[in-house]
Formats: sequence, C-alpha cells, structure tokens
Amino acid sequence: MNFETTIGNQNISILHVEGKILGNAANAFRTEMNEQLQTGRDKLVVNLMNVPLIDSSALGAIVVTLKSCQQSGGKLVLLSPQKAVREVLEVTQLNTVIEIYDTEEGACAAFI
Amino acid sequence: MAETILIVDDDPDILELLKMNLEPEGYNIRMANDGERAVQSACLNPPDLILLDVMMPHKDGFQVIEELKEIEHTKNVPVILLTARGQTEDKVLGLDTGADDYITKPFDLRELTARVEAVLGRTRPIKYINPLMHAMGDKFSEEGLQQLAGHLQAAAAIQKKLLPEQAPSLEGFDIATLLQSSTSVSGDFYDFIPLNETQIGLVLGDVKGNGIPAALLMVMIRTALRLLCHEEDSPASILKRVNDLVVRDTEADLFATMVYGILDIANSTFTYSNGGHCYPFHWKNHSEMEVLKTKGMLIGAFEEATFSSNICSLSPGDILVFYTDGITETENGNIVPQVSSIGLHKVSSNNPSTPTSAVQGDALRDAIPMDMFYGGDRLAACISKNAGLSASTLCETVVNDLTLFSGSTNSHDDRALIIIKRDT
Repeated sequence: MNFETTIGNQNISILHVEGKILGNAANAFRTEMNEQLQTGRDKLVVNLMNVPLIDSSALGAIVVTLKSCQQSGGKLVLLSPQKAVREVLEVTQLNTVIEIYDTEEGACAAFI
Repeated sequence: MAETILIVDDDPDILELLKMNLEPEGYNIRMANDGERAVQSACLNPPDLILLDVMMPHKDGFQVIEELKEIEHTKNVPVILLTARGQTEDKVLGLDTGADDYITKPFDLRELTARVEAVLGRTRPIKYINPLMHAMGDKFSEEGLQQLAGHLQAAAAIQKKLLPEQAPSLEGFDIATLLQSSTSVSGDFYDFIPLNETQIGLVLGDVKGNGIPAALLMVMIRTALRLLCHEEDSPASILKRVNDLVVRDTEADLFATMVYGILDIANSTFTYSNGGHCYPFHWKNHSEMEVLKTKGMLIGAFEEATFSSNICSLSPGDILVFYTDGITETENGNIVPQVSSIGLHKVSSNNPSTPTSAVQGDALRDAIPMDMFYGGDRLAACISKNAGLSASTLCETVVNDLTLFSGSTNSHDDRALIIIKRDT
C-alpha cells in the first residue's frame, strides 16, 4: 500500500491510497489520517479509487478517524470505492454514516 | 483512547519528572499541586489512576483518599501513594485507607511505570464491565464487582473455553460448528442459548481489535446477549440493546460484527438480525442459495445504530450457513500475489463449483477478487455442491476446500462456521 496526501482548496486534505489496506498497512493508513487531524486539517477526503480490498483493521481506522473528525467539527468522506470495498461498507452499514462520492469535485463540495 | 493519570505532589519538580516519564508511555497526564485541587480535578473528570503524594500541606494524601472514597464516581479510581523512604506506618495506613499500591521516594522510574501498569491492568476489567453492572442494576456489591473483575480476567485468558463444547442437539435439525483459532487472543465466537422448549438463540460474531480489551468485549457481548435474549423477542431489538450497552464504554476502534437469530423448531423458521456481519447463506429447496441480507450497523461503534429483523422458512433439507471473514478472506496459496491485484477474475466455465443461484450472483463474485481470496461465492458453491452431506461432514468439506485453496492447513485469522441443516 502506498499513499500520498494533497491539500486542496479550503484546506481539504485528499488522501490518495493505492493498494490493499490489510493488517499492518491499516496502521500506516490510520497514522496518516491522524497526522492530518493533528495539524488541524479535519476536512478529509480518502480516495479509495485504487484500493481493491480493505479488512477490519482498515475499517477500524476509518471509524476512529470519522469519530475524531466529527468531534472536532470536521468531516471525513470517501471517494470512489471499488466494488469489493463498497460491499464491505454496505455489509457493515458504514455507508449510512460516511458520505461516499464518485468524483473529487463532489467530495470536495461536501465541505461547503 | 489513552488512559489518564492524575499526578498530585506539592513539589513541581516531581510533577514534571513524573509527567516526563509517564507521557512517553502513552498516558494522558493531569497534574495537581495540592490535595484540594486533586479532589476537585478527580471529581470533575475521574482519571484512570491517581499518583498521590502523602506529605502535602493543608490536605495530605490520606485525607484525599478518604474524600475520594466518599464520592460515587471517584470511589473506584485506583490510587498509588508516593511515600517517603522508611515510613512503614504511612504504607500501612495508606493501604488501610484504600490505596492500591505505594511507591517509596526517591523512586526508580522503571519500578514506577511497572507499578502503574500493574495497577491499571488490575482495574481495567472493571471499566469494561461497568455497562453490564448498570444493566443488571444494584444486584452487585463492591465485593461482587471485584470478584467479577477477577473472573472476567480469567475468562479472557480462557475465552475459547466459553464457547459451547458441542453443537446442541435439536429434534429435526442437524447442527455442526467449527472454530479454528489463530494465535491472537481476540476473535470469533459463537453461542447457542436455549430460549424455551421450541426456540434456541444463535449468535456468531467476530470481535475486531486486539488483546485483552477485545477479549473482554467478547465476554461482555456474550454475557449481555445471554441476559437480553430473554427480555426481548426481536433479534433487532436485542442487537440494538447490546450495541447501546457496549458503545458507551468501548474505544472507537474496538467493535464487533455479529448475526443473532432465533431458530424455531416447531415452526421451522429462522428470525435473524445482522450487526455488520458477513451475510449468512440459506440453501433452499435443494436448488438455490439465498443470501440473507438485513441492514444493521457494526456493534459497539456508533450510538445511533439501527437494526432490522427478517425471517425465513426452513423446508426439509434446507441449510443455513454462518461464517466469519476468516473463512472468506483465506488467501489463495497457489498464485503470485501481484497478479491477483490487477482485477477481478470471473469463475471459469469449467469450474465445477459454479454457484447455482442467480441471487448469489455478481454482487458476491465482485465483492472479493476471486483469484486472491476464497470468497463468499466459493463458500456458497462448496455448500450447494455438497448439500446432501450431513452438517458435520459439510463442515469438514469446507475446511478441506479451504486447505486446497490456500495450500495450507494454517490460517492467519480465526475461522468460525456454523451449519444448520433441517432433516429431510
């Protein structure tokens, strides 16, 4: 798994992840999201376009970050999850508490 | 969430020294420089532990302990006393007053952190069972609480033994279970709870997270279910109450997924609700596999979680299959991993294990890249192809298929499987 964070308009952080987020990779994923929050950037877009699969550790990372964002008045949204990831989000019903967008423009508009 | 330690000492250098040494261990540190402020701070927001100097002007450590023991929400906060060397009387008095441990100044910092961790380790289980205590009302005494905490710790260590040793025998049904544990403490669990003469409650779940907190969450969920399943009729209400119970006191990254259902042997029905768990399968009418989908949130993650119940009828020969993701996420041992991540691989036409159902269909096939993970699709196919076998032979067949797929008899994750077959 690799990732890169870009900072867009209105201080929105876009975390582009590439590869499966499984096991220990989830810790790195979580740390990266947490670092954004630590630096006061609590508007977070996680781009899952290139993520074929996630496991429960990754879900845990998303849940924790989502809650931290909500506490600080920020927001976490997901961008373009693939079918396998979408299915996991659906089974766990996380799709009812996290906004999911198909385009980067849509995701960024969620913060306006 | 990090645990909070309140440090109380009138010597600012000692406060700083303790803070400097405990903060890197991952604790949140709060400080107070006299007894009065210590009591105020503890009342306002009870810490997980108090490190308390004995010799302080105005209000000494003993008085602080006495006051804290008088207050409902601070009386269970553990206290470690910091005493001057050689003051044996202080130690005795301190422990009599209700301190949990003491450390002699000047103290060895390694000893300090070890003692802090030991006391927190002893008292941690109490926090996890507090919601259960609320649920059960005033039936427990202080002694009972300590005892229960002790039992829970033992239970966490031997949690696997809490699982039913064998599947229940029910007239008209053939039930088999399988649990393969990986090395981790936490993980998969299942339970059968007799409700009345014709109904039995069934749960299969997976606790996500690690270590003792996860093990305790499992014990807590199991206990809560056993209490609540007699109070509520609908599986959705039961999951809702279990969620409400655990969500308040579990950390954000600690949660569980589970299916709870009621098997009615008189009416041959299964009423179920799902808390974010892999959808069970229903092999019906000797011909098709239905995925039992109901909406329900992960257990223990969100306060505003909602759940729904559903019901299915079981005809002779029908099979219900419950499993954890340790089964469907079994990795393919026969391929080079890089190739697999490129895209989704369709089941080839000469594959004898092609699923027979349209309901099963694309959703599951696409859900998990088939060439990389075992997947729900292949599990469903294995069941439908071998639906004539007994429940226990069917379990063995699935295990053999997993071994074949992964090229190994070992698993990285816990695996649990329950198969319920209505007699023909």
